[in-house]
Amino acid sequence: MKKLKIGVHGLTSCYGCQLKMASLKLAENIEIVYWNMLSSKGEIGKVDVAFVEGSVSTGEDEEELKKIRENADILVAMGTCATHGGVQGVIFGEDYKKCFKEIYGDNNIEFDGRIGEPIKKYVKVDYNLPGCPPEEDEILYYLATFALGSYPEEKDYPVCAECRRNGYPCILIEKNKPCLGPLTVAGCKARCLKYGIECTGCRGPLPHNIAWFDSLARTFKERGMSKEFIKSKMEIFGKQYENMEELINKVFE
Amino acid sequence: MRYVKIYNEKMQEFLERLKNYGKLYAPVKISDKFYDRKEIDDVKKISFDCLRTIMPAKKFFIPPYEELFEIDIENADYKEKIEETEPFVLFGLHACEIVALRILDGVYLDEFPDIYYANRRKAGIIIGLSCLPDEYCFCNLTRTDFVDIGFELFLHELPDGYLIRVGSPKGHKIVDENPDLFSEVKKEDIDAFKMFEEKRQKLFKYYGSFDNIRYILELTMKDKIWDEEAEKCLGCGNCTMTCPTCRCYDVQDIPDIDGKHAKRIRFWDSCQFRSHGLVAGGHNFRPTKKDRFLNRYICKNAYFYPLGTSYCVGCGNCTYFCPANINFLENLIEIRRGINA
Repeated sequence: MKKLKIGVHGLTSCYGCQLKMASLKLAENIEIVYWNMLSSKGEIGKVDVAFVEGSVSTGEDEEELKKIRENADILVAMGTCATHGGVQGVIFGEDYKKCFKEIYGDNNIEFDGRIGEPIKKYVKVDYNLPGCPPEEDEILYYLATFALGSYPEEKDYPVCAECRRNGYPCILIEKNKPCLGPLTVAGCKARCLKYGIECTGCRGPLPHNIAWFDSLARTFKERGMSKEFIKSKMEIFGKQYENMEELINKVFE
Repeated sequence: MRYVKIYNEKMQEFLERLKNYGKLYAPVKISDKFYDRKEIDDVKKISFDCLRTIMPAKKFFIPPYEELFEIDIENADYKEKIEETEPFVLFGLHACEIVALRILDGVYLDEFPDIYYANRRKAGIIIGLSCLPDEYCFCNLTRTDFVDIGFELFLHELPDGYLIRVGSPKGHKIVDENPDLFSEVKKEDIDAFKMFEEKRQKLFKYYGSFDNIRYILELTMKDKIWDEEAEKCLGCGNCTMTCPTCRCYDVQDIPDIDGKHAKRIRFWDSCQFRSHGLVAGGHNFRPTKKDRFLNRYICKNAYFYPLGTSYCVGCGNCTYFCPANINFLENLIEIRRGINA
């Protein structure tokens, strides 16, 4: 069997997705062409699949990402920073400038700092591998399907599906907890719900415009939660979801 | 039909003896409000007033996840992964849940029986239990409030025990093998049974015939109510996952990383999810949330001809477990407005 050539890349992020991937036992049919976190050898070159972790938060990130894209047949956005901008994507506009100044002061710094954005804003993304970090079984599934010359089926249903399949109590109904399960793409097997902790949406909102921020905001509102509280919960991982704010505002008009 | 009685004092022993017939599963409390049917070690923990479990009884026959095939990629071969199912006892199924299993039978045991389902169904021993409806129940409207068939034993609450209907050869066997547990039904037991039925019938929220609802629904599909209700919907799928008759699944092949083996898995899917209506070529039969929302109303109220009922058994689970407080029954009552019968 032909070996699958992969590259693994980290833009601005915690490198947790790569660490997760590095902890897995990959088979002989996978050849690592470039993985800077594991070895400084190698350079960005032609690969079948490039896995990109992190958001574009600097000019350097953008350049590197474009180079990765040019050299990869398939590009996979790996983890919530790459798919949705991640937690660093929560700060926008004037807030961003203020924040940047607070952290870096007036010193001249070498990089061109930007608002963290999902990589799809800069290049074509073929597949999303969601998670913070992605789950082992999903990383292996994506790799295995690519190695076979096939492709992975991306999930487009919410965490609630896995919560019900596992028979956990629904804590949104039972305890009025601000659970983001209904908005968040499944795959984690509802791990937090297993421990009675509400979903914070770390895997990012559902794709294909089916993350119903408006309906969930209405449900939260009916349970006595304020607009500010709801927004603060939803924007942690959902800030860069198209018209998130609009959808929440609509409920409070 | 054969009738026997069991006194309350003998119930604990009865439950213990049920374990002789297979692993015993019964409702237990799993959190402040919710119940689920779990394997029972200590029979004192069984809840007798559980009306609904967060996982319907279908989980014992169509598990949320299961492996169907082992696939040998190199040799382009596969093997069905069919395991012998040990007998098991499901205690405390209410009438609606038993009808629900019969509806699943109609789908899974038709001219092309699903062998995975059939094996489990053969191994399952069903012990029914009477109940008093709450505000969510409407099995009287769906005519699923009393079952004639589909159980081994059905226990009807009496002041000092239970009147038991014996519903199958296996049920007879359980009674015959444990003569010390059962007594004859007396006149006062029959009176108490009638009183219980009378009390039960008075507790439902709505009365009348619901048989025309599927046609009224078809005629009112363009009504504004469906836009408004679909807008509230979170698309979370709780309604279908907790529905005792929703049975749609997805099948996926998961290859191993070495590229030599794969498994074919099946898991609970939902018509409320986008990809459920997606077919090859990218067409989606239910592209909008409203399409998906209405689909469930139409599917549940469709006519299930083998039983002469609808696919909905009136259990109220979809409303009880809806985080957005969407009320299935009230929506149907709303479109039926004008009929007072």
